[in-house]
Amino acid sequence: MSIDTLIRKQNRDGGWSYVRGGSWTEPTVYAIMALLSSGETGPAQRGIAWLRSIERRDGGWPPRAEVDQSTWVTGLVALLGPGKIGAAAHRHAIGWLLRTTGEESSTIYRVREWLLGNGMSESDRKFPGWPWVPGTAAWVGPTSIAIMALEKEDRRQSSSEIRRRIEAGRVFLLGRACDEGGWNHGSSRPLGYPSDAYPETTGLALAALRGVRSPKVEQALTVAHRFLSECRSADALNWLRFGLRVHGELPPGYCTPSGVAYRTVPETSLDLVMTAAEQGRDCFGG
Amino acid sequence: MHRRLTRREWLATAGGAALLAGCRTHGPAAASVSAPPQVSIVRAPAYDQSLYDTLRRIVAGHRLGVRGRTVVLKPNLVEFEPESSINTHPLLVHAAYEAFLAAGAARVQIAEGPGHRRNTLDLADAAGYFQTIPKFEDVFVDLNLDDVTRVRPEAQFSRIDKLYLPNSVLRAGLLVSMAKMKTHHWVGATLSMKNLFGTVPGAIYGWPKNVLHWSGIEECIADLHAAYPRKFAIVDGIVGMEGNGPIQGVPKKAGVLVAGRDPLAVDATCCRIMKIDPFQIGYLRLAATDLTQIAEPNIAQIGESIRTVATPFDLIPDFRRVRLG
Repeated sequence: MSIDTLIRKQNRDGGWSYVRGGSWTEPTVYAIMALLSSGETGPAQRGIAWLRSIERRDGGWPPRAEVDQSTWVTGLVALLGPGKIGAAAHRHAIGWLLRTTGEESSTIYRVREWLLGNGMSESDRKFPGWPWVPGTAAWVGPTSIAIMALEKEDRRQSSSEIRRRIEAGRVFLLGRACDEGGWNHGSSRPLGYPSDAYPETTGLALAALRGVRSPKVEQALTVAHRFLSECRSADALNWLRFGLRVHGELPPGYCTPSGVAYRTVPETSLDLVMTAAEQGRDCFGG
Repeated sequence: MHRRLTRREWLATAGGAALLAGCRTHGPAAASVSAPPQVSIVRAPAYDQSLYDTLRRIVAGHRLGVRGRTVVLKPNLVEFEPESSINTHPLLVHAAYEAFLAAGAARVQIAEGPGHRRNTLDLADAAGYFQTIPKFEDVFVDLNLDDVTRVRPEAQFSRIDKLYLPNSVLRAGLLVSMAKMKTHHWVGATLSMKNLFGTVPGAIYGWPKNVLHWSGIEECIADLHAAYPRKFAIVDGIVGMEGNGPIQGVPKKAGVLVAGRDPLAVDATCCRIMKIDPFQIGYLRLAATDLTQIAEPNIAQIGESIRTVATPFDLIPDFRRVRLG
């Protein structure tokens, strides 16, 4: 899929589907990023107008227009920045992210667990991450996206509140690393059994740990290099490229292997966005 | 003309009715009023070409009335591990695909929304689906990314008062849950009913679909069972998974397929084959309108008997209590 295909796949309402059908927030944000990185402002503006039209009253975004709850995709909208989505909408998105934590970090949940006599991880209390959907636990995917959005905002306009959430989120990520390095979705030892890392979440978490040096990051970079040479999934390769690049570890002249299938709008868009980032136009970094 | 009941007659009638109702609710061995659900137990020693004939006989035998309708096959795709027993075998799915076309279905789709991995088609490729099923991509729907409709299940057991579910499944003439026979570290066993978690869209609920865990796994299984009225179940027990399933367990050869219109009866039968007590599986108890539904005498087993194919599946310590005595 090329930029032309991406333009052809735009829905009449201005948004994009994942593959076919109605518009969703996630593919629309990534398509907008890809179009803007290629100078295609017209379709991107229509996409932005659609995004603006579905903002919810709590300052967050739903995954698609008819869903009556704001979710993790609010972090994606925030990544567009105030210059694209608009100052007020962007401020609302950042506010929503700052107010949102995994349910295991909430006071109500902690009191409930205390009353039930269940032990609570100190780390969960002190270092909250972000959930996919409010009212549930924090996971690696939404936490990584939220950190990237807040980091971009912090570079534009720093605040101690933002810095605090970024740092806590990063501790959350480091605490969820798999024993052998890298990340899966965030459950590294379910029932005490060690589980394996995934390429896509390893790349994503590394991207959110930009500038962080630690043995766990070093271990994850080793795992990411192995994934990069073995993996043939477009989604995984996109995030691995980005995660390695922000740590200065993407092999020079790296080219995606032939035969990788870019089937969805996010896969195609992120490939274009990552290529633009490798050429110095980084939508995530600002 | 109606004669008024005397007080004694009224008490006797009400007491008898209450007694009968009590028996239906709590007496596992009591006879069910309606015809017992039929469950096929078929020996299938290997993933080979004989599955095509086996599946045709199963589908024809259950007279599913799929002529002219859309059938959605929902396998269990979990991880990028083609050599393990984690995913429903692609040859079995293709055999079902051919069987439903032969039975006159207008269209057969294969659809799944994995709970952990976002790159569904890459996962299907690694699991051997592209190699085994011609034009796989044309007949496959990623349920994590499908268009959705907000629904309220017929019966509600969890505190989720609404669910957004994929249109491809909601509009199907028949949803066929093609689960893998596995033990499960949270609910004891994962079979055709738990397999419906894969119909909950990740694009709304995330990876994993953690809303279902926070709202109660067993309750959500029962909700989903109620949300889809037109179902058929085929459980792949040729090689299942025992121990710390559904992901980190080890392969267990049971050499059997279990199928039927009533997922409760199918899953209860699978439990008995695995030497698990279905009355100890929380979601079966919840979803049953009365427990006689999952009592062995009230399920008409066709083909092999449970005894001849029974294969004890290893259970993690937390679930040894569900072992059938």
